[in-house]
Amino acid sequence: MVTGPVIRLLLPVAGVAVFFALSWATVFVFQPRDPKRFFLGYALLLLLATALTYRALWPLDRIEDALGLACDLLLQLLACLTMWNAFYSVLWGFSGSLIYDLFNEPGLCHRDRLIRSYEGDGDLDRILARRLPNLVRGGWVDRHDRTLRLRPKGVVMAVGTLASFKVFSLGMGGGVK
Amino acid sequence: MLLRLVLAVLTLIALQAALVALISAVKRRGSVYVTIVIVAFASAPLAVFADRLLFGRPLQPDGRLFLALTHLALGGFLFHFMTLPDRSVTLRILVELLLAPDRALSLSDLTARYGVQTMIGSRLAQLQDGRCLTIAADGALTLLPRGRSFGRAVTKGRRMFRITSAN
Repeated sequence: MVTGPVIRLLLPVAGVAVFFALSWATVFVFQPRDPKRFFLGYALLLLLATALTYRALWPLDRIEDALGLACDLLLQLLACLTMWNAFYSVLWGFSGSLIYDLFNEPGLCHRDRLIRSYEGDGDLDRILARRLPNLVRGGWVDRHDRTLRLRPKGVVMAVGTLASFKVFSLGMGGGVK
Repeated sequence: MLLRLVLAVLTLIALQAALVALISAVKRRGSVYVTIVIVAFASAPLAVFADRLLFGRPLQPDGRLFLALTHLALGGFLFHFMTLPDRSVTLRILVELLLAPDRALSLSDLTARYGVQTMIGSRLAQLQDGRCLTIAADGALTLLPRGRSFGRAVTKGRRMFRITSAN
């Protein structure tokens, strides 16, 4: 039985590699509407697999063993979260989209034209058009015609966010400095 | 053993969050993400040498290594957590509604407070600060080498995941 501490850290490495492979295959092949459900499912299953494998290889006899398990699980979860966040923030997010547009459409390399492309011609701009339906569907916000009203669930989230703004001196967040 | 472990983890994350909040309050212009990374690495030795305090006895060398890595991983979680209030457009919309009279806004009022002009203007300024692009006085945008690398990476990533429309 291998007892060296570093070898125990290979478990999260394997877990993360499987997470990436499963996530990529799911998104590439099935193109799900809501990939994060799959990401969450894979992450939880792989955490369970890591915990079971760790316990089978290294029984939790000492506090160091338990700490090793916690460390493995946290590192694995962090790496999965980093991939997940990169997927949404960089590939799908706002700044990534701006850079993507500028890189692929030279005609948009002007501030006003770029802004117009986001404003669009419809009722909602491109940013709100992506987010409002999700906020309404998720029960965070009510929409009646052109008026939005915060629902109790949204109040809780907004109060928590506002508290984070204050505690960590983030200004008003939302990517605006 | 489990309770002690959970308490140790909570203590470490609380310590880092408190330090980040304190530093951000004093040094308001810096990046909170840089602060988190510095705090995580700078306080890791403190965490390692607090083993007796956290677990009631000194840890073996392997335990100390795991404790240091656990501490750094918790810093990573704080980093990810911070992207939510700091960057999320959705959360900012909820806050704008919270601060509005009767917690309601018309679409035009919402976009006047937090609209495409503000969002894009700010993100472009941040990309300029990050040396990804330049913004000329007439509004012309030019990608710099770092911005082109970023653009190439996003393009390849989207192709890899077959993302055809975003944001």
